[in-house]
Amino acid sequence: MLSLFRITDVSAHCDLPCGVYDPAQARIEAESVKMICQKVADNDDPDFRVRATIIKEQRSELVKHHLWVLWTDYFKPPHFEKYPNLHTLFNEATKLAGASGTKGEFDESVADQLLAKIEEISTIFWETKKG
Amino acid sequence: MIRPALVRVRGRSMLPTYRDGDILLVLRGVRPRPGRAHVVRLPPDTSGRPRPLSVKRVTGPDPDAAERWWVDSDNPAEGVTSFDVGSLPAEAILAVVARLVWRPLG
Repeated sequence: MLSLFRITDVSAHCDLPCGVYDPAQARIEAESVKMICQKVADNDDPDFRVRATIIKEQRSELVKHHLWVLWTDYFKPPHFEKYPNLHTLFNEATKLAGASGTKGEFDESVADQLLAKIEEISTIFWETKKG
Repeated sequence: MIRPALVRVRGRSMLPTYRDGDILLVLRGVRPRPGRAHVVRLPPDTSGRPRPLSVKRVTGPDPDAAERWWVDSDNPAEGVTSFDVGSLPAEAILAVVARLVWRPLG
């Protein structure tokens, strides 16, 4: 194994297979987004709406961040082979959290679509954990 | 018996000391040297999958178990350490890093 005649790679990585990943992070932020949409629908206070807009954009950005961490750090080539729709799911989910999705509007149904996509990703995630 | 070996660093957890691609001369068959970087075998992850051999700094004996060693990364933002996996038994400390042999240009 360790030898003077063959160079062995030694890891100094942060994303070792032990990394703690959980789609719940993205889901919780998406639930915040949904809740903000509901609260804004019932509230005409302009200051509240401004704050809600800012917080909703931040939470949407966090959804994208957590999804991207899963996409790039957790999932590995064998997962993408086994679940060929995985790339598309991440693409669609992060779009739903973006400016054309929850970041840009107060439509609760868009937040529901986002939550549904995260749930699909989560199902695959937990299947890969069984293997 | 002291046996030398060559390893290549992969990743960023030992920054700023060692960079990705660095080739290190390491010595097997020596006692762990607290304060120095070592090649270590981390325990398997929570799913039971083995972790790769890693380069970590041995900071000292485990205060709760003197025969075990506490390891840390140099880069506080990255790396699996004893704070994640606990201290390591002496047999998991495979070699001490003696020196940087070669660093990629750039």
